[in-house]
Amino acid sequence: MSMQAADTAPAPAAPARTGGAGRERLRLLLRSGTFLAGAAIVAFWVACALFGSDVVPQDPYAVDLMSKLQAPSPDHWFGTDRLGRDIFARVIVGARDILTIAPLATVLGTVLGTTLGLIMGYFRGFIDEAISRLIEAVLALPLVIVALLALVALGTSYITVILVIGLIFTPLIARTVRSAVLTERGLDYVAAARLRGENPFYIMFIEILPNVVPPILVESTVRLGYAIFTVATLSFIGFGIQPPSADWGLAISDSYGLINGGYWWTVLFDALAIASLVVGVNLVADGVQGVFET
Amino acid sequence: MKKDDKAIDAARYRLNEIENDLVGELAAGRIGRREFLRHGAVLGLSVPFLSSLAGAFGLTAVAPRMARAAAAGGLIRVACTVPAGAVDPVTVDDNGGLLMLHQTGEFLSISGPDLVLRPHLAESWKPNGDGTVWTFKIRQGVKFQNGKTMTAEDVAASIDRLADPKNSSNALSAFKGVLSKGGAKKVDDDTVEFHLDTANGNFPYLVSSDNYNAIIIPADYAGDFEKTFIGTGPFKLDKYTPKVGASFVRNPDYWGPKAVPDRTEWSFYQNMQAMVLALQGNQVDIVSQVSAVGGEALLNDPSFQIISEKTSSHQQVHMRCDMAPFDDKRVRQAVALCLDRKQMVQGLFSGRSDIGNDSPFAPVFPSTDKSVPQREKDIAKAKQLLADAGHANGFTVKLTTEQYLEIPDYAVIIQNAVKAIGITIELNVEAQDAYYGKAVFGSSDWLDSVMGITDYGHRGVPNVFLNAPLKSDGTWNSAHFKNKDYDALVAQYIVASDLGTQRAVAKKIQELLLDETPVIFGYFYHYLTPAKKNVTGVPPVANRLFLSQAALT
Repeated sequence: MSMQAADTAPAPAAPARTGGAGRERLRLLLRSGTFLAGAAIVAFWVACALFGSDVVPQDPYAVDLMSKLQAPSPDHWFGTDRLGRDIFARVIVGARDILTIAPLATVLGTVLGTTLGLIMGYFRGFIDEAISRLIEAVLALPLVIVALLALVALGTSYITVILVIGLIFTPLIARTVRSAVLTERGLDYVAAARLRGENPFYIMFIEILPNVVPPILVESTVRLGYAIFTVATLSFIGFGIQPPSADWGLAISDSYGLINGGYWWTVLFDALAIASLVVGVNLVADGVQGVFET
Repeated sequence: MKKDDKAIDAARYRLNEIENDLVGELAAGRIGRREFLRHGAVLGLSVPFLSSLAGAFGLTAVAPRMARAAAAGGLIRVACTVPAGAVDPVTVDDNGGLLMLHQTGEFLSISGPDLVLRPHLAESWKPNGDGTVWTFKIRQGVKFQNGKTMTAEDVAASIDRLADPKNSSNALSAFKGVLSKGGAKKVDDDTVEFHLDTANGNFPYLVSSDNYNAIIIPADYAGDFEKTFIGTGPFKLDKYTPKVGASFVRNPDYWGPKAVPDRTEWSFYQNMQAMVLALQGNQVDIVSQVSAVGGEALLNDPSFQIISEKTSSHQQVHMRCDMAPFDDKRVRQAVALCLDRKQMVQGLFSGRSDIGNDSPFAPVFPSTDKSVPQREKDIAKAKQLLADAGHANGFTVKLTTEQYLEIPDYAVIIQNAVKAIGITIELNVEAQDAYYGKAVFGSSDWLDSVMGITDYGHRGVPNVFLNAPLKSDGTWNSAHFKNKDYDALVAQYIVASDLGTQRAVAKKIQELLLDETPVIFGYFYHYLTPAKKNVTGVPPVANRLFLSQAALT
């Protein structure tokens, strides 16, 4: 009798499959001043990355040696660099490289980290132990040093920078996802899926994954900020983006020795651009975190 | 000043045919006092004799301002680039490494800022009649820093080691085809003979400070230079930490005038901007070298001095003559025609460089024929040449180069310039050690890349530039340029002892290279060493930093 009752009772549903919670979170996000401020800054730079080269008044790559190191003026709003290129145009267009590489690297890290975290959290046991120790070993190494070593070994290109940053972020995201999965795997809807005979990959990716999206989203937005900073750092120390890119980190690297000579404009605007984008992404991350944790 | 025919005749009576030919060049006005001193010194004539003979022609030098003798003591701090590999006199091939070598090591002679060779560990030298054997008299009473006396045997062994292909010697760039292993022979305690493969009119330069590997070290040197920095110089090693820095202290047993500083400290930096900030931040007193591009903060700041020298230093833009698309000389010419050299010299270097004409004959060399027409920017002609070569729509090519001085900027300028004729250049800027690799064909981006830019330090004569990067069997022939006519002309140039013949052959070489254009020589930059205002006693010698008389006043 009791067996029959169990057979006919409805299986527990995965909690995230209702759309109401998602809509409520979106509404809260759109009412979050922190999120909106960050999103506005990020949107500005995304627009610069997408359409900047069409709207800037001068060619950001055009060398004009006879106009080098000119101070800001009506002709050159942010002045010119040591090759006579217009800094305003380069700052606007410079968003493109960093906003291509950093999000792609973050997506790569998120996909790999999520997969790894799901496997560790779901299977536990030896697999979890082995991967966890490996992750701890990787995380013990300084991020930029690991990136440098990898770039020296693989050579510098957009693809290698994306790969290197993505792979470096993988264990960080994996650890977060693992913690979330550990909580989820003990819930009834997971047990029910097992009883239905679903295979582990179905359970991980179809049942559990939708329920661990919030922490993944929060972690990804935080990582995006770090990715932007890492790309700029790698460019600054000469292992990132190649010239003649208008990349901000590269521009600072090329010109920081000029600051004390009075050529402050060759560095200031690129530095402000990096700072504003990182602040924008972090505000978005704070907003997302605030909403998902309420 | 009036010409003194009597003194001239008396002097000429004592000179041989080649030496008299040089005097004839001076008398005819084809060379000036500076070139006369310089070439005479190569032939082994003493600088005082040459000065008095030039004086007899009415050519006197402006008396140099006497430097105030500095009090001994103090510390001199220097910033330089990180040596790319192990510091070893046989293998060093980069600026950071070569600067380390001559802090404790010394050369047979020194090529000064006026490009005149002055005796140092050698007291004098003389060629035989046809320039195939050069005899050097070695200074006596010189000791290595370990207390052992330097002998003619050490000199012969030091040079022989560099001429031995088995040692992967970087100096083969100078010695290949000139001096083979076994060619350096000790004659007696104070005499060494160099038996050359072929006659060579400029050989003394190849064993001078011009050849930065050619410091004299003990005959029993075992390849552990970084442990001892053994040499005969005015400083001895205090401490060397790879990739970090080095310090040297005064050598109390030095044979010459004792070093003024008690100690010198060298800090290694990865890039020029960091060195600039170190000087501005009072962390160092001298920066070994900055480029006019990127060094503006120092060059335009009156609180620093710039020790400057016109040089033959340059950046070679090689194009692989054996690989498409540069296997057609019209394509190479087209690329060279896109560059506005005058604008580069004025705009990029603010006048601190000389225009290049796509041959290694820099304006500073007396043998350079300045009548050869200068290549000018001509986009229409470049487009036509490219179309004739079957590339009317242009092409895409990768340019690989090194992160050093203004080279990345130069690469961007070339990339920008060739857009006008439809060529797209993708840049690959690498760290120096990655770019040079193992510095042999097949294991070096420098030698294997289809297009690249490579730095070449100053030399007092163009022999190394003519040989290593351009001869068919050149050890640095990154353009893979193989041309029998060129090889024959270089052989003629090297054999020539008199300036007239050298200039005549130089003209042919310049014209051939303009036509073939395996390498673009866009400019020859001035060597710039920024220092604090109170630094004295540092002579302007390109790619070398002699600190024995340096002081802070």
